[in-house]
Amino acid sequence: MTKILRLLLVAGAVCGGLVASACHSLARSLDIVFVNPGKTGEVYWDMVAQTMQAAGRKLDAHVEVLNSERNYRTMQELGFGVLARHDKPDFLILSNEESAAVPIVEAAEAAGVKTLLLSNTLIGEDAVRLGPPRQKLKTWLGDITTDLQTAGARMANALIRTARDEKWQSPDGKIHILGIGGDEITPASIARNAGLKLAVDAAPDVVVDRLLFANWTQSEAENVTANYLSWASRKQIRPAGIWAGNDPMALGAIRAVMAAGLVPGRDIQLVGLNWSEEALREIRAGRLLLTDGGHFLLGGWSIVLLRDYADGCDFAAVSPRVEVKTSAITRQNLGSVGDLIKTRAFDRIDFARFRAKAGRCGHYDFSLDALISSLPVPEGVAD
Amino acid sequence: MSKDEAMIDPERHEPAAPRLRPVVRAMIWATVPVLLLVQLLASTGMEASSFWSQISQLDAHMARVAESRAELIAEPLWKMRYDQVTGVLNEIMNDETIAGATVYDDTGAAIARVVARSEDHSIAEISRPVHYSNGNMAVQAGRIVIAYSYAGLYAGAGSRMVRLLVVGLLATFATLIAMRISANIFIGRPLAAMMSAIQRSKQDGRAYPADVKSSNEFGQLARAFNAMQHTTSGALDRLGHMAGHDPLTGLPNRRSLTERLAVASRDGGRPDALVAFCFIDLDDFKGINDTFGHEAGDNFLVHIAERLRGAVEAEDWVARLGGDEFVVIRPEVGHEKAAYAFAQQVLDAISEPIRLHDKQVVPRASIGLAVRRADDPELSHLPTLADIALYHAKSKAPGTVAVLDEALQRDYRHDRDLELAIPAGFAEGQFEVWYQSQVDLESHDVVGLEALIRWRHPEHGVIGPGEFLPLIERSGNNARLTRYVLTDACRALQRLAAAGRPQIRIAINLPPSELADHSLAAELRATCARFDVAASSLELEITEGSLINNIASATETLHRLRRLGATIALDDFGTGYSSLAHLRRFPLDKVKIDKAFISEIPNSAEDKAIVGVIASLAGTLGLTLVAEGIERPGQAAAMREMGVRFGQGYLYQRPQPLDALLEWLEKRPRAESCIVTDSPSIAPEFAA
Repeated sequence: MTKILRLLLVAGAVCGGLVASACHSLARSLDIVFVNPGKTGEVYWDMVAQTMQAAGRKLDAHVEVLNSERNYRTMQELGFGVLARHDKPDFLILSNEESAAVPIVEAAEAAGVKTLLLSNTLIGEDAVRLGPPRQKLKTWLGDITTDLQTAGARMANALIRTARDEKWQSPDGKIHILGIGGDEITPASIARNAGLKLAVDAAPDVVVDRLLFANWTQSEAENVTANYLSWASRKQIRPAGIWAGNDPMALGAIRAVMAAGLVPGRDIQLVGLNWSEEALREIRAGRLLLTDGGHFLLGGWSIVLLRDYADGCDFAAVSPRVEVKTSAITRQNLGSVGDLIKTRAFDRIDFARFRAKAGRCGHYDFSLDALISSLPVPEGVAD
Repeated sequence: MSKDEAMIDPERHEPAAPRLRPVVRAMIWATVPVLLLVQLLASTGMEASSFWSQISQLDAHMARVAESRAELIAEPLWKMRYDQVTGVLNEIMNDETIAGATVYDDTGAAIARVVARSEDHSIAEISRPVHYSNGNMAVQAGRIVIAYSYAGLYAGAGSRMVRLLVVGLLATFATLIAMRISANIFIGRPLAAMMSAIQRSKQDGRAYPADVKSSNEFGQLARAFNAMQHTTSGALDRLGHMAGHDPLTGLPNRRSLTERLAVASRDGGRPDALVAFCFIDLDDFKGINDTFGHEAGDNFLVHIAERLRGAVEAEDWVARLGGDEFVVIRPEVGHEKAAYAFAQQVLDAISEPIRLHDKQVVPRASIGLAVRRADDPELSHLPTLADIALYHAKSKAPGTVAVLDEALQRDYRHDRDLELAIPAGFAEGQFEVWYQSQVDLESHDVVGLEALIRWRHPEHGVIGPGEFLPLIERSGNNARLTRYVLTDACRALQRLAAAGRPQIRIAINLPPSELADHSLAAELRATCARFDVAASSLELEITEGSLINNIASATETLHRLRRLGATIALDDFGTGYSSLAHLRRFPLDKVKIDKAFISEIPNSAEDKAIVGVIASLAGTLGLTLVAEGIERPGQAAAMREMGVRFGQGYLYQRPQPLDALLEWLEKRPRAESCIVTDSPSIAPEFAA
């Protein structure tokens, strides 16, 4: 295993160095602005910005991050401000949370600034009205999102598998699972929940007692989990697993489970999403089965796409819509990325290695394996 | 006060009248409880219906609240956001009527509960299922139960009830005041006006109208009342006039006389002026009535009244006291002579002839005149004084004017004193029975005694019967005196028998009134029995007049007395109008010839002839004769010659008390028994 890893790393370093200098000679430095919808300190969006900036440093792009602090009016003002600048940036990266980015995208079209939607793209009415990228809105280059439905299904399947193995069926012979969603309206949440449903629908021995919503927060998740456990005991149901739409909610559920006198990981299994540091700690402690995610890397990947685009290798050659698969961190692969996430040392990632190969524009491998192999072998581990 | 006065005097009846209960108060008592009851029922009914409608509204409202809350909590309940469920419940707790709410999940466990208060008893509950559905499913997530209280409604109903009651009471009170005021105006005032008119009318007997102007029923009543007052007033005036006037002649009556005298004494002009009072009595008015009938008698009186009126001046005053008695008063005369002249003038006016039934009748009257000064304290006695004079005139000189002088007044006072002393006379035994003997003129034997009454008056000495018997009769003591004499005679008979002279009989004088007394015979018999003497020893003397005036009754009594054995003697015969033949019809045994025929005998040939005729007739009729008043032996001899068997007089014996008589008898030789047997038939007629 280590030999293979080492081979890959060596090959990558050689090729990367070659390709970077030969195939993709850096034409010019890029000026990119990212209007961050999240709050300062909000882990996911911070990490998105950080990977974006780390990638910029690797790919000769200057990434300016503007924080809207979860205020969509502020977000729009920031966007409009950028578009009104004398020196307009080359690219404007937006996230269409609550569909608040639509006016900015339309304004950018007028201003002639190219935009990329990250994580949340156009939906519903907007999608119908404005159509796919680069048709009505020429400057809207496309979007880069994560496949959260698959993530949701993967998480559910991990729970189901474990429960079957452990024979955690209730007296009715069914495996009872609690779902905790973040909300019911944002596409990111809807996709994850749909993944859960997809997996459960395919398993006739499994029933989701409730899909509860905890507003993405740990405390509310803890609250509803406690309520559920109490209800389940009154209904003589043996809860086999808890599916949480993100890590904080999974952590809240863990607390509620423990408060109910159950041992997470032994009496019941829980899954989360986000690759959060706390989640990794719980995985290590055996209280959390897995955390899916890695989509904060969309920040870095977006820079990769825009670098290639600026350099003439348009990702739209495959599709203007780039969907990145997420990956689950379990106790098995925890060691490789745990430290990266914990230290947020995203400069260790060699983003240049993820650029499209010549002649294969639009083809990218943003998988966990690819990431792991892009990391330099830590001291001691490489051996 | 007379009975009539008592009847027309309403004051007399007031103590017995029921206590006054004002009609207004009675109306209020009758209306206010009904009003209150209606108010109470109406407000209770209204409030009850309002209360029940509020209850059902509250129930409906709570149902809506439960349903809306069920909708609101469906999602958080299903999604186990129990804090949100609790939040929703907390919101509804703002509703004060909600006492508590509980949400149960599908297992029946209470997952949210809020309680406002639990002390209320009047709690209702409403329960609604909580349905949750989304695109894929629809489930009953649980139940919501809301407990709510009617306490607010009860309290509200209570306070509204109190308000309604207060308003009702105020309304009742206002109605009461309005009733009082309007009743006072429309009922009380007119009634008070009429009552006031009645009170004033009662005070002075005049009719006052009630001052009521309204045009309603009370106005009509008041007008009717006023009309009645008017009528009553006229009737009262007429009654007053009738009370004071004689309906036949229209002259004032006796009642008015008293008032007139009071007026004369009060309003008499000069104090030294004289008031002339003429008491007029028509002579023989009874004869006019008997002859011409009562209607003519009335006409006669009317004529007399007219003449009296015509004969006097305007200031003079004429009245009819009743029957044939009239009074004329001249309030101011200069002196007694003028008064007498006035009386004479009145008498002359009366005495003009009057035509009755085509016959000339000359009215005759006697006048008693009394004159007194206007300031005389005895002015009110004028009628009595004039009556004395009138009595004198009628007895002494009918058809004349008699003036009341000192002598008349003295006689009057003497008689009055005697009359007043009669009861004491009886009580103290002042009346004495003296006896005068009746003697056989041939043998000079005493055959009988006449009981003669005397009054031994403590002041006036012994008074003869001529003086006091009229007073006895006038004072109604005839019967008493007769019994007194009868008792004394029986006692005397007892003593005579004891003295060995049982043959001597005693005669008693019977006054006319006693002849009408049917009990006399029984009393006589009882008294005889008491003293154990024979009724045949008694002789009863009666006068002609008493027989004539009362024929039937007298005859009856006499027969009864005779049946007892008593003999009947006709006293004072010859002074009356009747003849012996006329007397045949009466059961007489003896006739006593009045002394008027005896006194001139033997000198008067006429008297001798009369006595002779009487004696012969008596002999024919079988009557025994007794000559009264024999004072001289010649008289006795003359009587014997004419066949009069018995005599009585001073020649033989003056009347004496019994003891003296018995003593006198003792000195005389005893009578022969043959004399007694020769006496006339005295056989009792018990069988008759």
